[in-house]
Amino acid sequence: MKKILAFLKRDFLIEVSYRFSFVFQLASVFLSVASYYFLARFIGRSFVPGLEPYGGDYFAFVLVGVALHEYLATSLDAFSRSIRESQVAGTLEALLSTQTSLPTIVFSSAAYPFLWTTFSVVLYFTLGIGVFGVPLAHGNWAGATLILMLAIVVFSGLGILSASFVMVFKRGSPLAWLLGGLSWLLGGVLYPVTVLPEWLQFVSLLLPITYAIEGMRAALLQAAPWSQLWQSLGPLLLFALVVLPLSLASFHYATRRTRITGTLAHY
Amino acid sequence: MSSKAIVVRDLIKRFPLRRQWAEMVRGPFRQEWTTVLDGVNLEIEQGKVFGLLGPNGAGKTTLLKILSTLLLPSEGQAFVNGYDVVSSSHRARQAVGYCLDSERSFYYRLSGIENLAFFAALNNLDSRSATSRIAEVLNILDLNGAADVPFMTYSKGMQQKLGLARALLTDPAVLLLDEPTKSLDPGAAAGWRRFLRETLVGKMGKTILLVTHSLEEARECCDQTAVIGQGRISFQGRWPEVDEFVRSHVFPGCSSAGVA
Repeated sequence: MKKILAFLKRDFLIEVSYRFSFVFQLASVFLSVASYYFLARFIGRSFVPGLEPYGGDYFAFVLVGVALHEYLATSLDAFSRSIRESQVAGTLEALLSTQTSLPTIVFSSAAYPFLWTTFSVVLYFTLGIGVFGVPLAHGNWAGATLILMLAIVVFSGLGILSASFVMVFKRGSPLAWLLGGLSWLLGGVLYPVTVLPEWLQFVSLLLPITYAIEGMRAALLQAAPWSQLWQSLGPLLLFALVVLPLSLASFHYATRRTRITGTLAHY
Repeated sequence: MSSKAIVVRDLIKRFPLRRQWAEMVRGPFRQEWTTVLDGVNLEIEQGKVFGLLGPNGAGKTTLLKILSTLLLPSEGQAFVNGYDVVSSSHRARQAVGYCLDSERSFYYRLSGIENLAFFAALNNLDSRSATSRIAEVLNILDLNGAADVPFMTYSKGMQQKLGLARALLTDPAVLLLDEPTKSLDPGAAAGWRRFLRETLVGKMGKTILLVTHSLEEARECCDQTAVIGQGRISFQGRWPEVDEFVRSHVFPGCSSAGVA
């Protein structure tokens, strides 16, 4: 915990030292929410049958989708970026000369991006409920939290797989590109997966974000009971059981390989 | 506890050669290797300064990286304070302070003290011990005045000092110094050498493995010096035998004050 706090402090101090960038990041959260709101107002004037199972409010629908996608994007990016940035900045060897293991360094380096994403998502929902009147307040928040945590575990596993790739090949993780792109297109972020052609709906079932978004919407927009949420929790648990050991094994392999080849700090 | 601070036995390190696309197509599973360390043997007494002298690409930094557990050896063994750098890497790392040759190993936008506090946390120092230890090392290295200044404004000499301050945070028994005076002017370099002998070894009792290109540095600082070339230790001894060997075998015509 002490080490995570040290990384959080380091990243926060570096972020706020770029004063304008920090302010712009903050402002972009408000801009995103506002743009989805106006998009929702535009769509809200016409009847959209696909939205009926989700309560019919497109703004609430898209807010949940975008929030989950933010976590996926952070997971796919944060772990590999922490390695890549340390390689490029020249600090990786200094970090590895300390008494902290590489997995701890990589996990802790991702703490700030996750905290920032959480802050953004909380702001999305606060603005959504408080300012734009999204009817989320009576949702199954306990169920939503569990789905979110499980989703973060699965997404992080995918992010660590991507980081393993970056550690060995330095640039251009195909996993992050493929998963990021497919999840945005097929995961149901901006529209329900039911609007996709049947064969693409089948592909969407192979993506963890599909279950995470579906479960989260059921919990928050329909206040679905636990028995219904298991339809999302089950597949997410299965993904976690497969992805997490695989990602840790691949990360261990990548670390050992770079210590053998002497390419740990190369970029 | 062994009286030897560092022991290296038959150490070999090979790196894979980078291949061209055509070679990868012709033989996707064939890998060629280059040998950087080729059967290195060393024993360094506690409380001594041991110099490692040699041309670029001789394998000096590779040896330091193996001793600091950043790299795995291909064959052979290395021990720091009796701990195997492979099987007891965590213990070995606790015994070592590695002063990297890169000035880029700090966060430019953080101050000296913020950088040290971060690395102290990563070295398991609790906040109270970290605060007192940071004050102590800043004092030893005369960096108090620059503690709150961003690292990006540091001169080369101050950057080197902060690198050493970081290596001293855990009060390790062994210091690995990779060309600590390479970016310093002659006056600052002479001050460094005095500090190394009088304070680090004389007062603090550290064992130092010093990688250098400078014969002058080896003469002034080192109790023993090894000359390394093409991954092998070609000579090991004291001054002036080292000087004679280097001038006659490694760099014929080089003066003793010159840079090897």
